[in-house]
Amino acid sequence: MIPDILLEYQTEIWVSIGETFIMVGFAILAALLVGLPIGTFLFLCRKGQLLENQAVFSSLNLIVNIIRSFPFLLLVIFLIPFTRFVMGTAIGTAAATVPMTIIAIAHYSRLVEQSLLDVPRGVIEAAVSMGASVKDIIIKFLYVEARSALVLSMTTSTISFISYSTIMGVVGGGGIGDFAIRYGYQQFQTDLMIYIIIIMVIFVQFIQYAGITLARKIDKR
Amino acid sequence: MITLHNVSKRFGSFEAIESVSLSIKSGEIYGIIGASGAGKSTLLRLMNFIEKPDAGDVIIGDETLNHMRGKRIRQVRQSVAMIFQGYNLVGNKTVYDNVAVPLELAKVPKHDHEERVLESLRFVGLETLKDQYPGQLSGGQKQRVAIARAIVNQPTVLLCDEPTSSLDPNTTAEVLEVLQRINRAFGVTIVIVSHEMDVIKSVCERVTVMAGGRVYDTVEIEPTGVGKMEQSAEGFVERLKSGGEHHDT
Repeated sequence: MIPDILLEYQTEIWVSIGETFIMVGFAILAALLVGLPIGTFLFLCRKGQLLENQAVFSSLNLIVNIIRSFPFLLLVIFLIPFTRFVMGTAIGTAAATVPMTIIAIAHYSRLVEQSLLDVPRGVIEAAVSMGASVKDIIIKFLYVEARSALVLSMTTSTISFISYSTIMGVVGGGGIGDFAIRYGYQQFQTDLMIYIIIIMVIFVQFIQYAGITLARKIDKR
Repeated sequence: MITLHNVSKRFGSFEAIESVSLSIKSGEIYGIIGASGAGKSTLLRLMNFIEKPDAGDVIIGDETLNHMRGKRIRQVRQSVAMIFQGYNLVGNKTVYDNVAVPLELAKVPKHDHEERVLESLRFVGLETLKDQYPGQLSGGQKQRVAIARAIVNQPTVLLCDEPTSSLDPNTTAEVLEVLQRINRAFGVTIVIVSHEMDVIKSVCERVTVMAGGRVYDTVEIEPTGVGKMEQSAEGFVERLKSGGEHHDT
């Protein structure tokens, strides 16, 4: 049932999957812990919103745009000095989490901002009229009303993070994508590369399915 | 109860409210009527400081709102409830949870929530729908949930921004009946903004007619009869003073 070549490399494959999990896991964590607040702040600083501040919005917006504009491979290389400064090394899976978390924060914060833009303005107005603080408005109104969109955004982001992680072989980050390149493409084992691609496709399908199912389940509007 | 003194509000170069003064008595049902763009909704939003005036004073009870900031103004808003044309319920919260929100914001002890939420829902006749979501309700039911949410924290003032404009005549009558009962049962001062003459005439004791951001006139009305909807301030005043007759627009 399982192709021989996968069995032959199963140890390496499991290690690679573990490396991908570490990189993507840190990216998700960074997206949630930093990207979500930044995206929310971006939304709140927009014109006509509760914390309207054109200077802060423009600056933050520019930074997010610049990071997202970078071709990811160049971002990884550009960040090598910073990664070395933060992690003590620019090589390996742990070091690879630095560019991954930075792109994750920029990526998810933009999607969070866009998700919150879909919350009806009247809901925010009602919250203000009830005497809600900004913190209350975010937690009891914005996130509740946008929760489905936030889950879908995280789903999209996670799939992008998996894609980004395949590049991390450049700095010795490893991961399943890097495995496919090194053992499949570079050693002329095309079948191995195809099997790995199939594994990744199945994995992405599962994430997409889980994300859509959860988003649908929690959307009561 | 509510006093506006020479209040003005600009949006860019557009003068939405121009030196408006009015006084609303405690326990009164007060109407504000006018054509689109007359400034009536802005005027209502000035009463709970959702919009801050560029000039003039807004006084609720014996408190001047002008110099209030942050927590203080939020506390005032908790006693000045508001309902909207679009209901503005949180779609992902059940009816019960929507109504409980003001209690959470006012930090009312959790063990008191159930009794007060159910009491509010009972008052508007929707206790049995407490586990439904707003998306499962009709327009009239949504507005009644919004009213339950507005009264759950026992406000002294209820501001109503076009509360029946999205509703059919029967549902409009139901919602107005609920507002009248709230006024009678709890002595809540109610301010209704509407462009519908029938709505104003059926429940309000006094009405201010707005035109071009100014008070055109303030009229005492008899709570009987219905009037033709005119799109001019003169028309509104004429209909209000004459006692009115029923016409469709």
